[in-house]
Amino acid sequence: MNTPADKRMNHELEGLETHRNLKQGFASEAGTTSRYLYFARIADIEGSPETATIFRELAESSACNGHGFLDFLKRAGDPETDLPIGETERNLIAAISAETREFSEIYPRMKEVAALEGLPDIENWLLTLGKLKKVHTDRLKGALAQFNALHEK
Amino acid sequence: MPSMKNKPGMKSSESPAPTIYDASSITVLSGLDAVRKNPGMYIGSTAIEGLHQMVYELVDNAIDEAQAGECTGIAVSLNPDGSCTVADNGRGIPTETHPSEGCPACEVVLTRLHAGGKFKAGSYRLTTGLYGIGLSCLNALSQTLVLEIWRNGRAYRQNYSCGVAMNELEDLGTTERRGTRITFTPDFTIFDPRVAFDYQRLCKRLEELAFLHPGVRIEINDQRCGESASFLYDSGIPGFLKKLNAGARTIHREPLRIIHNEKDLQFEAVLQWTDSYGENISSYVNSINTIHGGTHVAGLKTALTGAINAYAREMKMLNRNRDERITTFDMLEGLTAVISVWMTGPSFEGQTKTRVTNEGLGVRVEQVVHDRLLAILHQDSKLAVLLVNRALDATRARVAARRASDRVAYQAADFTVSKEVYQKQFGIRSKNWHESATWIAHEELLGEHVKHLALDEKARMLDVCCGSGVVGASFKNKVGQMIGLDITPEMIDLARTRLDQVNQGTVYDLPFLDASFALVVNREVLHLLPNPERPVSEIYRVLKPGGQFIVGQILPFGPEDAAWMYRIFKKKQPLIFNMFQEDDFRALLLGAGFVDIEMSEYNLWESIDLWIDTHETTNLHRHEIRDLFYNAPQEARNVHPFEITPSGEIRDLWRWCIFSARKPGK
Repeated sequence: MNTPADKRMNHELEGLETHRNLKQGFASEAGTTSRYLYFARIADIEGSPETATIFRELAESSACNGHGFLDFLKRAGDPETDLPIGETERNLIAAISAETREFSEIYPRMKEVAALEGLPDIENWLLTLGKLKKVHTDRLKGALAQFNALHEK
Repeated sequence: MPSMKNKPGMKSSESPAPTIYDASSITVLSGLDAVRKNPGMYIGSTAIEGLHQMVYELVDNAIDEAQAGECTGIAVSLNPDGSCTVADNGRGIPTETHPSEGCPACEVVLTRLHAGGKFKAGSYRLTTGLYGIGLSCLNALSQTLVLEIWRNGRAYRQNYSCGVAMNELEDLGTTERRGTRITFTPDFTIFDPRVAFDYQRLCKRLEELAFLHPGVRIEINDQRCGESASFLYDSGIPGFLKKLNAGARTIHREPLRIIHNEKDLQFEAVLQWTDSYGENISSYVNSINTIHGGTHVAGLKTALTGAINAYAREMKMLNRNRDERITTFDMLEGLTAVISVWMTGPSFEGQTKTRVTNEGLGVRVEQVVHDRLLAILHQDSKLAVLLVNRALDATRARVAARRASDRVAYQAADFTVSKEVYQKQFGIRSKNWHESATWIAHEELLGEHVKHLALDEKARMLDVCCGSGVVGASFKNKVGQMIGLDITPEMIDLARTRLDQVNQGTVYDLPFLDASFALVVNREVLHLLPNPERPVSEIYRVLKPGGQFIVGQILPFGPEDAAWMYRIFKKKQPLIFNMFQEDDFRALLLGAGFVDIEMSEYNLWESIDLWIDTHETTNLHRHEIRDLFYNAPQEARNVHPFEITPSGEIRDLWRWCIFSARKPGK
């Protein structure tokens, strides 16, 4: 990650393969939550409510598992940005950093690739998401300012 | 009204000894208090749904009496003073002294809370009432209630207020009449005072009930505005299906009908396929409209796919080389079905109790429908071939559509779009596109385009991708010559009835000389085109210096609803390429060289039912679109108004943005 070295945390997992594994496990569980909720809806529509129920229950477990990974990862920092997380103020700062990177770097880069590869609808989807992430960043910044004002910082 | 032994609130002769009577009486009183304190728990809500639930409760009780063969007529009246009257010609609620309660049985029914009694095992049969809220809840939530009973040759009357009897049951003497009439005024300190009884909503439900209960006449009279209706159907469920399919082109004449009779489970399903693309399954359990389906509907769907595949395989109608299989989606395309189940002990889910969840129900419905349908198919091979081919057409069309969308993505890289693909996108509309949505010929919306016109009456106008030509035609008598351009012969024929001249061609390569028009108009097309810069540049090229471009697009309200709308529109039309936001669209126009950009906004409510049923989308996508509305992210809801009616209809507010731009120079 591109977080400046001075902002990163020193932690027991620093440099260990387990740290990378925890991040990977978190990403996988977070992805599973979303995928299974998507699959559950299709099962519902196809008329297999039993399958839908299984997918939903597994999605719920995956969400719990993802949070379990975060329980460990928060010692080492946000898996997305490597910034410290845990308390709300830190979480807001990490979230702002991640959203900022998404709208300013990640989605624009992906959009350019889609354009080069001749996929205009995907290009437009990525443009749309980038704009949404900008709005998210602004909302989070507002939330941080309000949070700090309330806590007289 | 139902007989005494069946009604919640009635106790059998083995009821508790008098010593418990006092204690239980206290419980009962606090029970009704609880109803007034927390009405949502008993009737779902204190908004419009709950208010109507009060009426349904009375009607359902009368229906129970009709089911017992004792009632043939039910009349609902909405009175000018805001009260509602429901009358039936049944036996009348029992007025005899209740053995253990020591007051008339009818008073027990109206004042003692015994929730859920209707569903108690062993109660006589398959009752209608959903919540089993009982008359006592209705009474508790009514500011005033007048009870009139004609029973065993005598007339009775009693008044209540907020669930408490104001006088003893009065005996008014002899009568020929029989039945029960209850007039209640909802307590608007509990119900939302902004809501009132809705005639249309009640009509819809009462008509359903009349279909589900052949031979019972149900009348409604709205004395507030003089509207009235009377429903009496002997045709039952098949008649209901016929009504649903009125005006549709059916694939086969006679609906398929499956009837099953067992002691604890009876159901009737009628099925008919039409040439439309949507699926329309109405389902009922004990006459409750399960608008979100449940195990009975799931069982029906599974059985259809299973039976049709079994038949098609047996008859070797599937291409085995390609491992062809008819999917549920394809089987359901164009299906109109009504299934009405009567069962003991239904269990419902959800706040609105509109989904049934009994597990065994699905399996039994599936088995019965599967076997009966297979038998029907074997009996009537002509029908079977029709149905299999109908489903196979859907399967093959879906595969072809997917391939077409792969191809267009590939070709977009070198700025060309094949005519075949373009035609797939626009030509496919020829069948019903013009009638498919109200916005197409919406006069105010068209007027919003014309308002931007800043040219003299000699101007030569081009309506590009004109479709049926309505946008261009709205400029009639305001411009000199109206010329249209479209790629599909069907649309060109339609547009020729509206415009002076219509050419065939593509907007990527306009078949016109440079600077040959003073005005170009266009609506809701550019988002469908990959690389829209190219067509916009072409429009710029054919405009004279100083010429005007007027273009309407549906845009998101902001970045907050754009990604959500992108998903909806992409499912509606898989070949969509852009979900323009306002700044994107301005940038598109500026990028082509346009100046003096102005924009006006026009918001239009539209039921999504008007556009959801087209060739371009699939059955899965239609379901997913509805889900996207039902589960819209709060962030999108904050900026994008839409509403979901209790029947599940979705009405969306479309933000039309009409831009005017000029080519520089004179």
